[in-house]
Amino acid sequence: MSEADATPGRSRNERFPGFNVLAQTGAWDDVTVGVVMKRIGMPPDVRFFTPTEEAAARALFDQLLDQREEPRVPIVNMVDARLAEQETDGWHYDDMPEDGQVWRDTLAALDADAMAAHALPFAACGRREQAALLQSILSLGSGAWHGLNAERVWSLWTRYACTAFYSHPWAWNEIGFPGPAYPRGYKHAGVNAREPFEVRDRRPDDDPAARRR
Amino acid sequence: MSGVRERNASAWLLPAEGSRSDHRLRDDMRRFDDSDEVDLAIVGCGAGGGTLLQRLARRGWRVVALDAGPFWDPEADWVSDEGGSHHLYWTEPRVISGSDPVPLGSNNSGRGVGGSMVHFAGYTPRFHPSDFRTWTNDGVGADWPISYDDLRPYYRDIEEELPVAGDYWPWGDPHGYPQRPHPVGGNGEVFLRGALKLGILAKVGPVGISNGRFGNRAHCIYRGFCLQGCKVNAKASPLITHVPDALAHGAEVRPNSMVTRIHIDERSGRATGVEYVRGGISHVQRARAVAVAGYSIETPRLLLLSTSRRFPAGLCNDFDLVGRYLMVQGAPQTAGRFPAEIRMYKAPPPEVSSEQFYETDPAKPYKRGFSVQTVSPLPITWAEHVCAQGYWGQALRAYLRDYVHWTCTGALCEFLPQPENRVTLSDERDRNGLRVAHFAYSQCDNDRQLMAAAQDVMERLQRAAGAEEVITIKRYAHLVGGARMAADERHGVVDADGRAFAVPNLYITDGSILPTQGSANPALTIMALAARIADRMADHARAG
Ligand SMILES: Cc1cc2nc3c(=O)[nH]c(=O)nc-3n(C[C@H](O)[C@H](O)[C@H](O)COP(=O)(O)OP(=O)(O)OC[C@H]3O[C@@H](n4cnc5c(N)ncnc54)[C@H](O)[C@@H]3O)c2cc1C
Ligand code: SF4
Repeated sequence: MSEADATPGRSRNERFPGFNVLAQTGAWDDVTVGVVMKRIGMPPDVRFFTPTEEAAARALFDQLLDQREEPRVPIVNMVDARLAEQETDGWHYDDMPEDGQVWRDTLAALDADAMAAHALPFAACGRREQAALLQSILSLGSGAWHGLNAERVWSLWTRYACTAFYSHPWAWNEIGFPGPAYPRGYKHAGVNAREPFEVRDRRPDDDPAARRR
Repeated sequence: MSGVRERNASAWLLPAEGSRSDHRLRDDMRRFDDSDEVDLAIVGCGAGGGTLLQRLARRGWRVVALDAGPFWDPEADWVSDEGGSHHLYWTEPRVISGSDPVPLGSNNSGRGVGGSMVHFAGYTPRFHPSDFRTWTNDGVGADWPISYDDLRPYYRDIEEELPVAGDYWPWGDPHGYPQRPHPVGGNGEVFLRGALKLGILAKVGPVGISNGRFGNRAHCIYRGFCLQGCKVNAKASPLITHVPDALAHGAEVRPNSMVTRIHIDERSGRATGVEYVRGGISHVQRARAVAVAGYSIETPRLLLLSTSRRFPAGLCNDFDLVGRYLMVQGAPQTAGRFPAEIRMYKAPPPEVSSEQFYETDPAKPYKRGFSVQTVSPLPITWAEHVCAQGYWGQALRAYLRDYVHWTCTGALCEFLPQPENRVTLSDERDRNGLRVAHFAYSQCDNDRQLMAAAQDVMERLQRAAGAEEVITIKRYAHLVGGARMAADERHGVVDADGRAFAVPNLYITDGSILPTQGSANPALTIMALAARIADRMADHARAG
């Protein structure tokens, strides 16, 4: 089954083997099918990010979402499309510019930090160096990073990244979430109850917290 | 419930099969000219505006509600998808600040006919009688110029019209609901189990989700996408609970019409109509009276934008009260990890709640309280919860792969109204060239203590139910206030009937007028208040 698992990077779906929400599109309404299937097709070209920004963003998203192999969920294109279309949440902190500008500024800042530490742009650094740099930004808490509140930058990065990633059916497959549910709905709600089309978790003990205990 | 249909036939005016929208009613809708002097122009067709529209149309008023957003067609415009529902939110530019700034967008306000209730979760609790006198009782907050008893009959009416399903309610003013409680899913089951173990009283509901067919509205299909707009028409919003009946009684709803200014006659000081932009063209709708119901941010903003010689600091702002005392509820969220599969995405997120901690507990150092409810984040929102713990990369993916094992509860803490928590105008401008709202928010000590107490209860509850790990994040929910009602013009913007002290034919009929917020979700109270104001307006007009 591993080859056929429709997951990010085609990795083996250890917990929900064979689960494929796209096999269920027949049970969805047309409007929702249209919206979800657009994410499966060819991603829109990058329009908002400059090539330099695009490279940094790609590396950043690979890190944030731990995407190492193709086929990747095309986060860069999905985020770029939102910014190009100004599909933001509208609000911004009074000590930060609007989202698009924050993206430009912070990607440049990432490159600047990488240059200072390793004499390479962020994207050209090794995975380990990239990860260490990101962890150092996260560790700043609400302290300043290039004149911005680090926590707010981090939250903006992860918000955009996760909104793209977890809207993608491949990501749903690996977390066991069936996606759209109209007009069919659910008939078996409750602890340990499953619909015929849901797949049982084969590794219920794979609690990420347990590993830390 | 035999009286409901006679009072409000909305559910019976929707088509029985196929399309979920009343296209015929909308096509045949009465359309006023800008130059017609309507009896009332309402700004915003959400919880407050939509209810007011229906009530006054029933009383024979010539009313039009202008809404900045679309006239939704659930079948065509909404999707059963989290990422694809961005268009339901108010995403015009806004600036936030303060020591505890409140992020807006998806979590805070809606747009279009139906307002924020289009994507509200669906909880419809009443306020408690104590909410109306927190100053007298506890020396915090403010007393309302009305009492619980003034609202009671309106609560009952609206509960029948939504309709509300739930257990008999033992808290506040004890009452029953028109419909039996819904069956609960995994998240609700765990909540009930944990509460029982701890000796916390928990009840199923109350939700504005029909349990069974209601008129031509269909039964809930337990698909869990309530915050993305209910495509089924099971969950209440004014779009389906009040607008159809309003149209059938000669009201007009004018979508995609952003009101930019309220016009005032400089001599008489009375409102004469509203200026609005539709399709890039500016219009003025004449009106004998104006009601503002644009949500707690846009309502104060519109008043502040409407300057004139008589009101140089903004309409009704003689005492610098417009935009002040804005409130959010502290809404920490605790997730728990269970060996069993919970699959919290099934069933509506609002399932079970407890109001055991709602009232002031003399044994505690803080005043007022909080409520605890189930919330069931879908994957994107769940990822935000996990990211807020500092997880990213591999750890983030691992937590998300574990999604089916998690439950989630949320608290609503009664943050106190403070004058510096307010909307002002920023120097930034929107695409209409209007200054955008700047919303400043800072917590006080009591607020922080409530957050901590609520977190403690939720974590104990999850653990009592068997959670192996719990993680809590801090959030906010539900903006109200910003143009509060009071006994006099030195303490509030409007009187007990929603009428502006400064402009006798200007009303405010949305969540902005709430002086305090309790720890109940506000939509039912906003609708009940609007229904009451409508009665007062109509009676007043007849008497006058
Ligand atoms: C995610 C989420 C979950 C929620 N869950 C619950 C819940 O479970 N229970 C509960 O009770 N409450 C809940 N709420 C809150 C509830 O929806 C709101 O409190 C309520 O709808 C507010 O009513 P309102 O009349 O003040 O404004 P709204 O219902 O938001 O209506 C305002 C309307 O005015 C329009 N408007 C604004 N400015 C203008 C203008 N200048 N010109 C023309 N039109 C304008 C807007 O488009 C909008 O349609 C939730 C809210 C959100 C966002
Ligand atoms: S769970 Fe029920 S109320 Fe919620 S969106 Fe689905 S059908 Fe509507």
